[in-house]
Order: sequence, then C-alpha cells, then structure tokens
Amino acid sequence: MLCERCKKKEATFYYHENVNGTEKTYSLCRDCADELKKSGELGKFGGFGTEFAPFESLFAHDPFENIDSLFSKQEIFGSLFAPAKTRQLAERGSAKKCPLCGMTLSDFSREGKVGCPTCYETFADELEPAIGRIHGRTAHNGRAPSKFREKTELKNRIRALEAEQKEAIKTENYERAAEIRDELKNLRGQA
Amino acid sequence: MWYKNKGQENDVAVSTRIRLARNLNGYPFEGRLNEEQAKEIIEKVWSVFEGKSGWTFVDFSALPAIERASYAERHIVSPEFAKKQGPCALIVNEEASVYIMVLEEDHLRIQAISAGFDLSGTMKAVTDAEKLLDEVLDIAYSEKLGYLTHCPTNLGTGMRASVMLHLPAYIGAGGIRNLQGQLEKLGLTMRGMTGEGSSASGGLYQISNQITLGITEDETIAKLEDVIGQIIAKERDLRGRISRDSLDNLSDRVMRDMGVMMYATRIGSAELISLYSDVRLGAALNLLSLPIEKLDEMLMRCMPNTICAEREGMLTPAERDRARAAIVREILGKANNAE
Repeated sequence: MLCERCKKKEATFYYHENVNGTEKTYSLCRDCADELKKSGELGKFGGFGTEFAPFESLFAHDPFENIDSLFSKQEIFGSLFAPAKTRQLAERGSAKKCPLCGMTLSDFSREGKVGCPTCYETFADELEPAIGRIHGRTAHNGRAPSKFREKTELKNRIRALEAEQKEAIKTENYERAAEIRDELKNLRGQA
Repeated sequence: MWYKNKGQENDVAVSTRIRLARNLNGYPFEGRLNEEQAKEIIEKVWSVFEGKSGWTFVDFSALPAIERASYAERHIVSPEFAKKQGPCALIVNEEASVYIMVLEEDHLRIQAISAGFDLSGTMKAVTDAEKLLDEVLDIAYSEKLGYLTHCPTNLGTGMRASVMLHLPAYIGAGGIRNLQGQLEKLGLTMRGMTGEGSSASGGLYQISNQITLGITEDETIAKLEDVIGQIIAKERDLRGRISRDSLDNLSDRVMRDMGVMMYATRIGSAELISLYSDVRLGAALNLLSLPIEKLDEMLMRCMPNTICAEREGMLTPAERDRARAAIVREILGKANNAE
C-alpha cells in the first residue's frame, strides 16, 4: 500500500484516531509520518492517536525461512576466496558480464546472490568453489524437470550400479560384478 | 488452513512445511527484473492454474499491509514476501494446503503445509503442484547444479523441508543447545521461533535441512523423518519424567493458566504465547481435556496482525489485547461445548 500523503513510498505506519467518536485511519510512509509528527499535525488529539506497525510480530525473527540469513552473506561469500584470489577474480569479474542480466562478479560478491539463471553458466568456474563451500558438494543428485528426466534417471541408475559393483567386488561376488559391468556398458552407451 | 486440522504426532509436532524454489529461464531475478517482466511471469504462472478448478489467484501486491502480515504470521508466506514491493501473487489450492508464491526471492516458491508431523504427505502435495507447472513452464535447471535459484544456498533440489516442534521438556532439561549442535553435524538446522530458549518462547522450534545440493529429495526427507522421530520420542520421554517427578507443580501451573485464559479480559501477545506453551503441554499430558489443535489455532489467530485482519480494522494494542482475550474465550468455549 502506498503512502496516502506522498503517494510514492510504501506505507509502513498506520495511525488510528478516535476523535469524539469519529474514527480516522491514515496510512503513511515513515518520512511523511515523521514530518507530520514533527509539525504536530498527527497526534494533536493527545492520547487518541495510535501508531501501528503492521509487521510487528510475536516472532523475533522469521521462524521458517531464511536459512540463508543464518550466516551473513559476507560470512559465506566474503570468506570464500582467499584475498589474493578475490582480487584476481574481481579483476576478471569486472570484465565479464552475464549476457542476460548484466551481473558482474563484483555484483555477486556484494549481493551474495546471482542475477539470473544464466549467471550460473556465465560464471561457472568462478562460482564453483563458493557453491562447494556452502553445500560440501558441487553436483546435483535429485529430481529433474520432465524434459531432463529420462537422462537424469539414467545417470542415477548408473551411479547406483557403480556403487553396487564396488560392493560386489568387495564381497568377492564376481558373478554379480560381471553382470553389473555388462549392464553399465550398455547404459553408458545410451547416456 | 493447516492449523484447523488435527495432525499426526501433534502432542509434539505443530506443523510440517516443504517448499520448492523454482525459476523460469530467460528472466532475471528480483532487483534486475522490470515491472513488465514481473507481470509476464505472474501471467505465465497463473495461466497454468487458471483453467483448473480449485485454484485461487490472490493479487498479493494489492492486499492491505495487515492482511499480508497476517499471512506471514500464520507461516503461509515468508515475512520477506509480506513486505515485498512491486508485483507479486499468491496462488492457493482449495484445501488451503498448497501455496505458490510468485515473485518471492525466486520466481516461484511452491509450498505445502500440513498440521503435525507429516513429511511424506506434505511432500506429495508439493510434488503434485509442481508437476502441473513442470509440464508447461521452462524451468531453469542444469544437470550439474540442479534447479537454479537466486541464492546459491538453494541450488540442487531447491527444497527446504521443516517441521515445527513444541519442546518444553527439552528446554526444561537444558538440552536445546546440545541438540542444536548435534543437528548441525547432520546438515540440519534448528531455530527457535520466538527467541532462544527463554521461558516466553512458547517452546517452539523449527528443524529443517540446510543442504540442497548433492543430496536427493528422498534422502533429505528420510533423514529428517529419522532425526525428528527421535527428537519427538526424546521429548515424550522427558515429559514422562516431568509427570513422574513434578506433576503437582505442573498441574497447578496449567490450571492457573486455564483460569487466566477463561476469565481474563485482556491478554498481551507475550503472555499468550507463554499460556499456549504451558497449556499445550498440559493437554498433551492429559492434565486437562482440550484438543491440542485448538490451541495451535488459538496461537495463530491471536497474532497481532491476524487479530486486526479478522476484525477488519486497525486496532490499538489495548484493543488487540481485549480481542485476543475474546478469541481465547471463544476457542475454549467451543472446545468445552464440543466435549
């Protein structure tokens, strides 16, 4: 909701007044509210005006979301690169720009978030160490959109068989290991 | 609405929530997205649901601030989304169990919420909703990094699953800090809902996965299922000890709280959350006969903005305290009559 007075900024302050039974509510941005308070226009009816902050909440902080904010961006991304590397990357990054959204690497280290999905391709090398540090891994292992699904399922099947093969060799089950080897050969041909 | 239902294991578990972060190829993220592109995304997403029965479109940017904040208080949207400026929308299913935030931090946040502890049911709900979108939209995905998200912390599955637990006995036993450390080692995280461990915190904690890359959805869910199952069992065990060792004290406190809830004419928000926690524990230990889900509903309806939204007006803090006391009496009255 926009401020009633300047009609430019988002209203974050609400005043509710009850003057001799006539109720009035104003929605104002912080600046307009401060100005009106200073000039005495708001609250001139003494104790009847009440300020109400709509985002006041029982909760001290977001209970559900924002694991991201557990560690500040500076903490994650600032410490990802050693100082020399940061400089080097920043120099390289200042030249490189994402073709879709225009993000540079220095934008990323400031904002902690990329500008568009294409950035991950544009800055694949530069982002990989950061991603590895956050997750401890750098390769996806999970569901895929339907258009990728067949390929992903094949990849997952190969990964599972490779693990089984190792186990079979470890337990000296060479018959099963040979079966798996043939199956893997076949699947890798399709991939 | 999740808090109107009776959930599984609800003596300890309050709610289960799973959200998937998804984005569209070819569009920048917030901050670099212009208004025209934003409206285009909203249109594209809604076009998927428009012809299907049971889905409702909410022009979230046009809602009054109080209503937006009320959605956040009841955990239906994130506080960031409630405060968001510029175009954004909320698409809701008939049962009000699946919510799709359009233009939150990511282009899409598909979210399912259930009462109690129900990871598999919630996962099914969120996956079903995602399927509808996946068939039509060009979702940003790379084989290496998985689903591409605004923040690299969500790459991979883009999935965050969280369960809210009521852990008053854990707090009483001083075990929260230790638990927090153990969870961290497992790649899980725990956050107090109202500030850490104080008696006024309501005893509510949320446990969720932290890592999304390199681990499958099923592995994440299985891990949470296992760990949270153990925490629930431990909390019950600790509660059992309380009822053996200090039942008299606890029962006196709970009954005094009930007195306040039944007869007070003004209840502040901090007072309410402490009443909630005590009485919830009392109900779980059968010290009084009160359906636990009614208490969760009470807590949600007593949030400051939600009170104002329900009364359709801006209330002063004193008016809110009176309205809160009235809601508490109404809910207790209904629960008693239903018996």
